[in-house]
Amino acid sequence: MDTRLMCKNLGAACLGLSMAMSASSVFALADIIEVPSRPTLLAPENLLTDADRAGGQIVAVGERGHIIFSEDEGESWEQAEVPVSVTLTGVDFGTEQHGWAVGHSGVVLHSSDAGESWEIQLTGIRAMELVIESRQEQIEEMEQRIEEAPEEEVADLEWALDDLIFSLQNLESDLDIGPVNPLLDVWFENESHGFVVGAYGMFLRTTDGGETWRDWSPRVDNPTGFHLNSITQITGGGLVIVGEAGQIFVSVDGGDSWEKRESPYEGSLFGAIGTGQVNEILAFGLRGNMLLSTDLGETWKMVPNEAGATLNDGVVADDGRITLVGNGGTVLMSTDGGESFRAYSRDDREGVMDVVPVSGTSLVIVGEGGVKHTDARGKSL
Amino acid sequence: MSNPKHDKGEHYLTTPKAEPFLERLIFNNRAIILIAFFFLTLFLGYNAVKIQPDASFERMIPLEHPYIVNMLEYRDDLENLGNFVRIAVEVEEGDIFTQEYMETLKQITDEVFYLDGVDRSGLKSLWTSNVRWVEVTEQGFQGGTVIPDNYDGSRESLEQLRQNVLRSNEVGRLISDNFQSTIVYAPLYENNPETGEPLDYGEFSRQLEEKIRNKYEEQNPNIDIHIVGFAKKVGDLIEGIGSIAWFAGITIILTTLLLFGYSRCIKGTLVPVFTSIIAVFLQLGTLRLLGYGLDPYSVLVPFLVFAIGISHGVQIVNAMAVEAAKGFDSVTAARLAFRALYIPGMLALISDAFGFLTLIFIEIDVIRDLAVAAGIGVAFVILTNLVLHVLIMSYLGISKGGVRHVQNHGEKQDRKWRLLSYFAHPGVAPISLLIAVIGLGVGLYFKQDLKVGDLDQGAPELRADSRYNKDNAFIIENYSTSADVLVVMVKTEDEQCTQYNVLRAMDTLQWELQNTPGVQSSASLANVSKLVTKALNEGNWKWYEISRNQTIINASIREAPAGLINTNCDLTPVLVFLEDHKAETLETVTERVEEFASNYNTDEYRFLLGAGNAGVEAATNDVISSAKNMMLIFVYGVVASLCLLTFRSIRAVLCILIPLGLTSILAEAIMAVSGIGIKVATLPVIALGVGIGVDYGIYIYSKLEKFLLEGKPLQEAYFETLKSTGKAVIFTGITLGIGVVTWIFSPIKFQADMGLLLFFMFIWNMVGSIWLLPALARFLLRPDRMVAKARASK
Repeated sequence: MDTRLMCKNLGAACLGLSMAMSASSVFALADIIEVPSRPTLLAPENLLTDADRAGGQIVAVGERGHIIFSEDEGESWEQAEVPVSVTLTGVDFGTEQHGWAVGHSGVVLHSSDAGESWEIQLTGIRAMELVIESRQEQIEEMEQRIEEAPEEEVADLEWALDDLIFSLQNLESDLDIGPVNPLLDVWFENESHGFVVGAYGMFLRTTDGGETWRDWSPRVDNPTGFHLNSITQITGGGLVIVGEAGQIFVSVDGGDSWEKRESPYEGSLFGAIGTGQVNEILAFGLRGNMLLSTDLGETWKMVPNEAGATLNDGVVADDGRITLVGNGGTVLMSTDGGESFRAYSRDDREGVMDVVPVSGTSLVIVGEGGVKHTDARGKSL
Repeated sequence: MSNPKHDKGEHYLTTPKAEPFLERLIFNNRAIILIAFFFLTLFLGYNAVKIQPDASFERMIPLEHPYIVNMLEYRDDLENLGNFVRIAVEVEEGDIFTQEYMETLKQITDEVFYLDGVDRSGLKSLWTSNVRWVEVTEQGFQGGTVIPDNYDGSRESLEQLRQNVLRSNEVGRLISDNFQSTIVYAPLYENNPETGEPLDYGEFSRQLEEKIRNKYEEQNPNIDIHIVGFAKKVGDLIEGIGSIAWFAGITIILTTLLLFGYSRCIKGTLVPVFTSIIAVFLQLGTLRLLGYGLDPYSVLVPFLVFAIGISHGVQIVNAMAVEAAKGFDSVTAARLAFRALYIPGMLALISDAFGFLTLIFIEIDVIRDLAVAAGIGVAFVILTNLVLHVLIMSYLGISKGGVRHVQNHGEKQDRKWRLLSYFAHPGVAPISLLIAVIGLGVGLYFKQDLKVGDLDQGAPELRADSRYNKDNAFIIENYSTSADVLVVMVKTEDEQCTQYNVLRAMDTLQWELQNTPGVQSSASLANVSKLVTKALNEGNWKWYEISRNQTIINASIREAPAGLINTNCDLTPVLVFLEDHKAETLETVTERVEEFASNYNTDEYRFLLGAGNAGVEAATNDVISSAKNMMLIFVYGVVASLCLLTFRSIRAVLCILIPLGLTSILAEAIMAVSGIGIKVATLPVIALGVGIGVDYGIYIYSKLEKFLLEGKPLQEAYFETLKSTGKAVIFTGITLGIGVVTWIFSPIKFQADMGLLLFFMFIWNMVGSIWLLPALARFLLRPDRMVAKARASK
C-alpha cells in the first residue's frame, strides 16, 4: 500500500519517468490497450480471474485480454476476439446476450453476442477524466457549502474539502502516467444499467449500456479511496460492494444510494454472495475470514472454517449448496445455507478465483492454472 | 598413408636414381641426427607430459557468431545467471519429513557451504535462512524460515515443517512434487573473489563426488544424491578425458600385434611403434609450447598421428624388407627405402594435411585447434617416419624372419588376390556397380533424416546412461525445470532496464515464445514484477499485471534474483526454457526472437540473442550448417585437384572419388540412423575421413594404371596391383581403424560418435577402393587409349 502512496506523493517524479518513457520510436509496441489479445490455445491453461454464465454459455476472463467461452458446460473452450491485452478482472452478463468485462488500464469491454466478440467502451484515461470532472464539481460544491455553512461546521467541511483536493491531485498525477489503475469487478442489472468498481475507490455507473458513464464514488462513504473489490446482487434485490480493509456498502434502491456497513472484520474482503435466502449476505476475504449477515449487513457473525487462505469468490447452486473458492487450492462447501463449511484443498494448490456450477453437482473452477473441471468438493475430474 | 609411388615409384615423379642431396645429408650424419632427435624428443617430450586437459568453454563455441559476440560482450552481466550446481538429496524409502533425512540434509548443506567456489550468500536448501514461507495477513506479510524455529526433530516439529513447506512456494523448485527429495542449490563463483583465480571445475567436481555423494550415500544408505550443473558437467568431461590413457594403451597394443602379424619382424614392429609414439610426443610438446591444452576434441589427434605414423612406417619396413631380401645390408636397404619413399611419402602426408586444413574455415576454435594439432602432427610424422625411422632401421636392420616373410609370396596368398581381382571382371563389375547404386539409394534415403546439432536429451556431451544424465533426468522429472535455456538479452540505456516499456516488451516477447512450439516456459523481470505486484496487493490474482506506475514496478523488483538485473541496470535477460535442444526447436525459437527484435527494437531497448546453452547451440548449429557444404566442396575440391594433378585424367579422378563419395553418403546415413547430428565433433570427421581416405584410392589406382600401361588386361593388371599393394592398403585401413575404434567406448558421447564415424570411414574407404574402384575402372577406363597416349607423350 505504501508504494502507491509514494507515487501519489511523488507525482512529479512519476510524471518525469513517464515522459522519458514516451520517447520511443514509431516501431515501438502499441499500448497494451490498443493491442488485440493474441489468439492462443493456451488461454484456458493460464490465469483466469472471473467467470459468468451468458445464457447457455460459460464465459471466463483472465490475463493478457483472454476471454474464453464454452458452449458445452466447460468441456471445450473457444477464445473470443478481444481488442485489448490487459489482465481482465471481472465479467458479468446483464442479459443472455449482453455482457461486460473489466480489467487493468481501466478498460470496460462490451459483448452483445454472448461473449464471442468484444468492443472497448471505456478506458482508464476517460474514466479518470470523468472522476476528475466529478471531483472538480464536488470541490466547487464544497466550497459553496463552506461559504454558506455555519461557523461550527466549517472546520469539518474544510477537512472534507482537503480530502477532495488531495484525491483530485492524485487523479491528475495518475492521469499523467496513464491509465494506471485497474477496475476490479462489474455488475449489470440488464442490458442498460450497470456498475463497475475498482482500485482506489473507483466506482462508475451507466444507464445506457455503457455508452456513457458517471462517477458514482461520491455516493459511497469512502474518502480514503479503499479498493472496491467486488459488487454483487443478493437474493431480495439488494446490492453489495465489498473492498479493502473491511469495506462493505449496501444499496436497496438499485444502486442510487449506498450505505456503509460496519464490518466485524478489519481485513480486506474480496467477494460477497447471497446465500439464496432473502437479504442474506456472505462476505469473505483474507485468510479464510468469512462473515454472514441475515439482515442486509446490519449485523454480522463470523463463520468459522478451516480454509486459512484468502477466499476469492463463490456461488450458490440451484440446490442451495454454497461453494466458495480461494487461494492455495481452497474449495469450501456448505449445505446448510452458509452456517458451516467443509474445506477441501486441491492437490495443485493453485489459486482459484471463481466457480460455476455445471450439470449435475460438478463444478467448473477458474484461477491461477486456468480452467478445471471438478466434482462437488473441488477435486479435479 | 601414401601415394602411388611408394615402392619403386619412378613413374610419376622424376625420382632421381642417384643419391639425392637429402639422402646424403641424412645418411652422412646419422649419429648427429639421432642425437638431435634424442634431445628434441627429451625437450618436447617433457612439455608433452605437462600438457593439461583443457575443456575451455570458449574454444568450443563459434566466437564470431553474433549471438556469441553478444553473449561474451555481456558475459559479466550474465555471470550470476547460469553457473550453479543443484544437488538433489533423494530419500529411497518414505518421504523427506523424517529426523534422519533432515539431519543428513543439514550436514550436506553445511558441507556444500564450505566447498571452495560456492557463493555462500546464495546457497539455498531447506536449512538455509533464505528459504522462507510467507503469508499475507491483515497487517501485511508474515513469514519465517521453513525449518521451524524450535525444530527438534520431533513429530510435531516435522509436521510444522511440512506445513511451512506447503506454504513456502518452493514445491517444484527446492522440494520435489512427491516430497521424496529436496535440492541444495549452490551458485558458484566463476573466479574466486579472494584470490581471483578461476574455478577449477575438475577439482570442484571431484570434491562433490568425494565430500558429498560418496560420503553421505555411505553414511545414510537410505539416500541417493543427484548432482547437476555446468560445473559438474565440465568436471565429468575432464574426468572423461582421463580415460583416454587407457584407450591409448589398448590402441598401441592392438597396433603392435597387428604390425607383427604383418611384418613378422620384432624390430620392424617395435621401431614404427616407437617412432610413431615419438611423433605423438613431439606433437603434444609443440602444442603445449604454442599454448594449447588438450581439449576433448583435439585429444583425438594423437591417435590419428599414431595411426598415420604406423601406416607409413609399414611402407618403410616393407621396402627395407624387399631390399634386404635382395641381399643388401641394413644401411643400404635403409638408403634405398628412403630414396624410394621420401618424395611420395612426403607428398602423401602433405595431402593428408590438406584434409585437415579445410577445417580452418570453420569459425569454431576447437575445430581450428584440431586442424592445427593434426597439421603439426603430420609434420612430425614426416620427420619421424622418413628420417628417424629410417635411421634407426639402418642400424638395426630387418630380421631374417621379416625378410623370409616378404619372400614368401606363396600360392595361397596369390589365390586370395586372384579371387579379389574378379572385382575387375566384366561380369562382376556391373553387379558391384548395381550394389553401389543400391547402397547410394539407401544412403540417400536414410540421409534425409540427418539433423544438425545435438539430438539427445540432457547433456549431449555425455552418454545418455552416464551418471550425469541420469541425475539430470531425475531432476527434470521431479522438479519444474528444464535443462535447455535460451537467454535473450535486453539492452537498455543505463538505469533503464526496469522501465515499464521494457518490461512490457519482454512480457510480449515471452508470450509470443510461449506460443511457439518447443517452448516450455519463460521467465524475466516481467514475471517477477507481476508476481510481486500481486503479492503486494494482498495476494489478489486480479493484480497480476505489470503496473504502469514506475514506483510500483521498482518496489516489485526490489528483491528480484541477482541474475535478472546487472549493476548498471542496462541489461536484463529473458530466460526461455525449451523442451529440447533439437536444431528445429532452436531454429524456430530464435527466428521468432529475431523477428520480434527487428519489429520492435527501439532506442529504448534492444532484444539481443543469445546466451544460455540453447543460445550457444543455436549459434553453433548455424555456423555448422553453413560450414558443412562449404567444407565438403572444399575438401572434395582439394582431393579432386590433387588426383587430377597427379593422374591428369578426369576418369581417374572419378574412379577414385566415387567410392569416397559413397562412403561419405553412407556415413551420413549412419549418422541419421544412429541419431548422431552434424555438430562440432562430427563435422571434422567428414573432412578427416575424406582427406585420409583418398590415399587408398590413389595408391590402388596408381599401381593399376602402371600395370595397364604395361599392356596388361584390366583384371590381370588389378591382380598385379593387389599383389604388390593390396596387403599394404588393407593393413593401413585396419591400422587407421584400430587407431580410433577404442573411442567408441569413451564416456564422452561426442568422442564415441567421432570414433564410430572415423572407424567406419577408414574401413569403408579401404573396402571401397579395393572393391568398387576396379568395377568403376572396368567402365570408365580405356586401357588402349591410355597406352596410346603414354606412348605418344614419350
